[in-house]
Amino acid sequence: MLRAVAGWLGGWVAGDHVSPATKLPRYLATYLATLLLLAAACGRAPATASNPVIALATPEDGGTAYVEVTGLSASELDALGSADYTADQWSEVLRVAVAPDAPAMLGTYAVTGSALRFTPAFPFDPGRQYEVRFDPSRVPGTGEAAAPIVATLGRPASTAVPSTVVARVYPSGDVVPENLLRMYVEFSDPMGRRSGVEYMKVLNEAGQEIEGAILPLDYEFWSPDHKRFTIFFDPGRVKDGILPNREMGRPLTYGGSMTLVVSREWRDARGLPLKEDFQRTFRVTAADTEPLDTGSWGIQPPPAGSRAGVVVTFPEPLDHGLLMRALGVTRGRAPVEGGIAVDMAETRWTFTPASPWQAGGYELLALDILEDLAGNQIGRAFEVDNFDTVDKSPNPQTIRIPFMVR
Amino acid sequence: MRSLLTKLLVLLAIVVLASWTPSSARQATSTGQGPALTSMGPLAFGPDGTLFAADNQAAAIFALDLGAQANGGAAGAKGLDAVNEKLAALLGTGAREITITDLAVHPRTRNAYLSVMRGQGEGAAPALFRVDGNGAITMVSMQTVRYQKVELPNAPAANPTARQNPRTQVVTDMAFADGRLWVAGLSNEEFASNLRAIPYPFASVDTGTSVEIYHGNHRQLETRSPVNAFVPYMLNNQPHLIAGYTCTPLVKFPIASLRPGDKVRGTTIAEFGAGNRVLDMIVYRKGGQEFLLTANNSRGVMKIPTSTFASATPITTPVETETGGVPFEKVTSMTGIRQLDKLDDSNSIVIAQNASGALNLQVVPLP
Repeated sequence: MLRAVAGWLGGWVAGDHVSPATKLPRYLATYLATLLLLAAACGRAPATASNPVIALATPEDGGTAYVEVTGLSASELDALGSADYTADQWSEVLRVAVAPDAPAMLGTYAVTGSALRFTPAFPFDPGRQYEVRFDPSRVPGTGEAAAPIVATLGRPASTAVPSTVVARVYPSGDVVPENLLRMYVEFSDPMGRRSGVEYMKVLNEAGQEIEGAILPLDYEFWSPDHKRFTIFFDPGRVKDGILPNREMGRPLTYGGSMTLVVSREWRDARGLPLKEDFQRTFRVTAADTEPLDTGSWGIQPPPAGSRAGVVVTFPEPLDHGLLMRALGVTRGRAPVEGGIAVDMAETRWTFTPASPWQAGGYELLALDILEDLAGNQIGRAFEVDNFDTVDKSPNPQTIRIPFMVR
Repeated sequence: MRSLLTKLLVLLAIVVLASWTPSSARQATSTGQGPALTSMGPLAFGPDGTLFAADNQAAAIFALDLGAQANGGAAGAKGLDAVNEKLAALLGTGAREITITDLAVHPRTRNAYLSVMRGQGEGAAPALFRVDGNGAITMVSMQTVRYQKVELPNAPAANPTARQNPRTQVVTDMAFADGRLWVAGLSNEEFASNLRAIPYPFASVDTGTSVEIYHGNHRQLETRSPVNAFVPYMLNNQPHLIAGYTCTPLVKFPIASLRPGDKVRGTTIAEFGAGNRVLDMIVYRKGGQEFLLTANNSRGVMKIPTSTFASATPITTPVETETGGVPFEKVTSMTGIRQLDKLDDSNSIVIAQNASGALNLQVVPLP
């Protein structure tokens, strides 16, 4: 067990009840307490009954670190062990807090062997200092007790070096339509929970930020592994002719460019910033307001008996996330097992079967949620300006495109 | 050996078939004690005090029986300045390291419950707090809480052998009505509105209804915009949902029309302005009239008489002005509102951000 101990000296140097301590500069108090922690870790100065010692301990199995007070007498331990205290009463005996004037943090108290132990409800933050105060006068049955002792304790800060980077951004091509609806930012490692909108901005060709380009939703649009974040562009500005669009225009302008900037201040799952800032520039082309037309797709059937991929090509880039999910292959309505690859700037989709193709008919299965970069779906454009048209199709609809393997 | 091989092949076939979900939804329900939530919020109380908590990280909803932990506090809820700093201190961390994800009022005790996420990284964990009428803060211990859990079905995948589906479903709001928990959600891959009904006690989740509205300011049928907040409301003795969308149409849906698998068009009855989204909404009665109170991210708080909802002229043509439809008034006395719920017949309870950035829990008389 690695044990860092701050005993009565720690209380002396950091405490508010022992007069010399208040005259010591805080950095010196911390320094001396650290020295004591190191000394205690080397196994010196066992506690005695009259010498309560505050310690921060980390179980060898990596469990939650806890605070212990050792050096208590047998009668004190007995009294504490049989005490029926509320959380508030316990915190008057042993108080652990993020700051001297902050409420006591939540946790459980127990007498374990020769110590009073506080286990926090949530683990101590690495790098954060905690104020620990033990008041012997609050131990049941104590008469003339010593003054409280106070220590500042904490787990060491992480020494890890930032290494997470933006691995890729979809669309992966260099061109986006003026009415771009969605982008994906993929990171090399899992990211933290915080939404990314505040860490991203979109610049125009003059390098000026395009205000309001990204829809500031509060939700966490992460993939389950927290490595892919979805950016939604504000559809109120994307859609043609609507009020915000007329007032502010589309965030992107045909003929110009846009640069996505990701700040390194965005924290990863370890709480570390990114290794570096990221930016990528796209050329902005005309708005795409046409629905997807599966008739324009090219299908290159593979030869029977092979495990070569069936290759489907599209006349325009489609949404990467949906390409990985909304297209598949069936034979006799049964799914065919295999793997998917998407490349050529999301204009080519290749399905490689787990088993060799058999001669005969197959189907390319497309769910109607498949979209292009502007949110147009199969047979249904993102912009529909006709109130009389009501789509009664079940949700979702599937489209099956037959192909022959020979 | 052959028998074992046969069993393995059958098992493999079952696994493959089970993963083939082009149009149907898989769901799982479970019950127990000591729910292991990975995240928490939004929240919604049922009329019997059951607390519904969405776990967006796990794409699940928990129905929590708070048991005795719902009792013992002073009735009502008292405001607390810098409540985010107080909660962070209790959790042993800094205010920047927590997120208050929702606020909900217990229907019997009128205590306020706040769901919080502690930490932003891989060790992030949820916590649930109760604030009573004396301002006492108590963390709800999940160890003794009995629960029911229902997993939200993920969207269909056309490729059954994809190793991992990176799609996630985010619950944006929940409300209990007509014996069912209504859940609004959207995903990280489709910008679609979806409303699901989940009968309680949990047995199954329907496939959801895709809700379609006419968005006057957007001059089109609007199917792919998120429902940010909604409330159940009776119109002409028929249960309805009143929903606020991004940018900011107000829409009514008869609950009877929300059938699983259908696409339903709601009736847009107001446009409350672009560049805006509804954060929370409540219904209350004052002076013999009922009102809808909405907290918005960029257009403040709006008070809307509901008497016009039933007969409101549907907005089916473009609204060329900034706002349109049923009348409303801005409540300028309420600013910086992040969370809103009805505390009692006379008061709302809000989490409001002040000029210094602190989040205050405040009891505010209903306007």
